[in-house]
Amino acid sequence: MTIPAGILDIFAAIMLVVAAVSAARLVVARPWQRGRGAATADIDIAHLLMAIAMAGTLAAGLRTLPNDAWDVIFAVLTAWFAYHVTQDARRAGIRALSGGHCAPHLVHSAAMLYMFVAVTAPAAGGGAAMSGMGGSGTQTLSLPILAFLFALILIGYSIWDLDQLSGPGASGHYSLAARIAPAGAVLAGTPALAGAESPAAAFSGLPSAGSPTSAGSPTSAGSPTSAGSPTSAGSPTSAGSPTSAGSPTSAGNTVATVTPPAEADRAASCDPDPVSGGAGRLVLAPWVATSCRIAMGITMALMLIIMI
Amino acid sequence: MAVPRGRAAWRGRLGTGEVAVGAAPDASRMLQLALAGVWLLDGVLQYQSFMFTKAFGQMLAATAAGNPGVIASPINWDTRLIEHHAVALNAIFATIQLLLGLGIACRPTVRAALGASIAWALAVWWFGEGLGGVLNGTASPVNGAPGAVIIYALLAVLLWPTDRGATTAPFTAARAVGAPAARALWLVLWLSQAYFALQPANRAPQALHDMIAGMASGEPGWLNAIERNAAALVAHQGLAASFVLAIALAAIAVGVYLPAPAARAAVVLAVVVAAVIWVVGEAFGTILAGGATDPNSGLLLILLALVYWPARTGPVPRSLGQSVAGHPAEGIPT
Repeated sequence: MTIPAGILDIFAAIMLVVAAVSAARLVVARPWQRGRGAATADIDIAHLLMAIAMAGTLAAGLRTLPNDAWDVIFAVLTAWFAYHVTQDARRAGIRALSGGHCAPHLVHSAAMLYMFVAVTAPAAGGGAAMSGMGGSGTQTLSLPILAFLFALILIGYSIWDLDQLSGPGASGHYSLAARIAPAGAVLAGTPALAGAESPAAAFSGLPSAGSPTSAGSPTSAGSPTSAGSPTSAGSPTSAGSPTSAGSPTSAGNTVATVTPPAEADRAASCDPDPVSGGAGRLVLAPWVATSCRIAMGITMALMLIIMI
Repeated sequence: MAVPRGRAAWRGRLGTGEVAVGAAPDASRMLQLALAGVWLLDGVLQYQSFMFTKAFGQMLAATAAGNPGVIASPINWDTRLIEHHAVALNAIFATIQLLLGLGIACRPTVRAALGASIAWALAVWWFGEGLGGVLNGTASPVNGAPGAVIIYALLAVLLWPTDRGATTAPFTAARAVGAPAARALWLVLWLSQAYFALQPANRAPQALHDMIAGMASGEPGWLNAIERNAAALVAHQGLAASFVLAIALAAIAVGVYLPAPAARAAVVLAVVVAAVIWVVGEAFGTILAGGATDPNSGLLLILLALVYWPARTGPVPRSLGQSVAGHPAEGIPT
C-alpha cells in the first residue's frame, strides 16, 4: 500500500504552482536585461528547479529529468548557496547562518541533493529512479536520521517564515505590503510595512494609524525616506542626501532598512519601467517568494518523512 | 552600522534580503513556534503510507483493551469507522494537524489554532490513545504516559497568548494561567509519571528491559545498538530502575516550588530525563523505523520543561521591556 495518488497529486500540483510563480517572477524581473533582478534570480531559479523536481517525484504520471541530472543540478545549487552563506557569515558573522537569506536555500538545496542521492530501490524492484512516489513499491532513503534532521530543519524554517510573514514587524523579504507599493519602491526594497502596527494592517497593507509615513503611500512606500519616492529616487541631487534612499534614518517604530544611497539611485534610475502592471508587482512581491519557500519546505519535509 | 553593498544591497532592495531588522519573538512566541513545529511534524507523519491502511485503525483499536466500557466503546466505534474509510479519514486527520501547526505559526490565527489544538488533542487522547493507558495499568513514563497528545493540550493552555505578566511572571507558563496553577499542573503531570513508574507492571524485573528492547526493531543500526545496550543495562533491574526513575520524577515535580536556582536544576533534570526517555525509551517515537504517528512524549516533555524555565526577574532594560510587551523594539535598527 502506498499513499493514495490523489493526495500526492495535490502536493505535486502545489509544487507546479510554485514552479509557475517562480518562472513568472523570472520573466517579470527579466534578470537577463540590464542586470535587474539578477541578484535574486538564483533564488527563483532554485525554487523553479526544486518545485519541478518535487512535482516529478510526487506525481506518478509526471516525467522530468533523470536522477543523475537532478543530482548535478542540486549539487551545483548546494555549492552555490554554500558559497554565499560563507560570504554572508564572513560579513555578518554567525547571524547569517540563522537569519541570512541564503541559509534556508542552502538547506533546501542540500535536502534535495540528499533526497536524490540517498534514494534506494523499492523492495519490489524497478531501480532507484526517483519518480512517482505513488507508483508501486515504496522508495526509502538511506541514512534516515539525515532525512529526519532535514525534515526538522525544513519545518523549523517554514514555521519561522510564516511567523515572520504574519508578524507586525514584517520587513525585508517578509514584507507583505509590496503588493500595493509602487514598483520602484518594491525594487528599492523599502520596508513597505514599516509603521504597520498590527498584523491586520500588515496583511491588508493598509496604512497604520499613527504611522508617520504609511505603507502604501505613493510618496513614501512605507519608508520615511523612500527610494521609490519621486522626490528622492533617481534624483541627482538626492544621492547621498540624508533624506534620500538608503539613509539609515528611521522614524518612530518603523523598521529600518539600510540601502546605500548610490545603489538605490542606480536601482531607480535603471528601472524607469521596472514592472508593468499590478500583476507584475504582485508576482514580484517578497511575500510571494517567501510563501513559495514555505510551501516547498513543508512538501520537502513530507517527502523526506514518507521516504524514511 | 554596516552598510550592505553589491549583492546584499540588491537583495535588500528587492525585498528578499535580511537587510531590514525583523521581528524578534519573545520566549513565549518562540515556544509557540516550537509547538507549531511539532504539530506540523505530526501532520507530515500522518501522511505516511501506513496510516492509509486498515492497520492504522487496528493500531488504535488496541488502545481500547483494558479500558472501562465507557471509554472503550467509543474507541471501538471510531476505529471501525477508520478501518472502513481509512484513506479519507486519515487524509482529514493529517490535514487538520498540518493546519494546526500552520495556524499556530501564523500570528492572526494563533488563538484559534491553539484552541482547536486543545479540542483535537483531547479527542485524540481518548479516541486514539485510550487515555494514554492511564486507566488500564499499561501507562509508563518510559513509553509515553500519560499520553503524548495530552501534553500538546497542556502546552497550548500554558502558551496561550496574553500580555499579562510579560515581564513579571517567574516563568513563561505562569503568564497564561498564573504561577500557582502552572506549578500545580507541573506537579500533577510529573507526580503522575512517578506513580506510573511504580506500578506493578512497570517494576517487574524484566519490565523495563522488555520495553526498551522492544523499541529496537526496525531502527537504524546505531539506534538499535543504543536500545539493546540500554535494555541490557536494566535487565532484571526493573524494581531498582523504577525506584530511581520515580525519585527523579518526584524531584522534578516539586522542583518548581523551590527557589530559582533549585528550580532551574529541576528543569534541567526534567530536560535530561525527557531526553533519555525520548531516545532510549521511545526511540525518537520510532520515526526512523517508519509508521510513527507522532514523536511521542519525550520531545514534548523537553518543550514543556522549557516553558517552566525560571525567568530573570528584576529591572528590565527599557528596550527589552518594549520588545516583550509590544512591538516597538522591532523597529530599532542595529
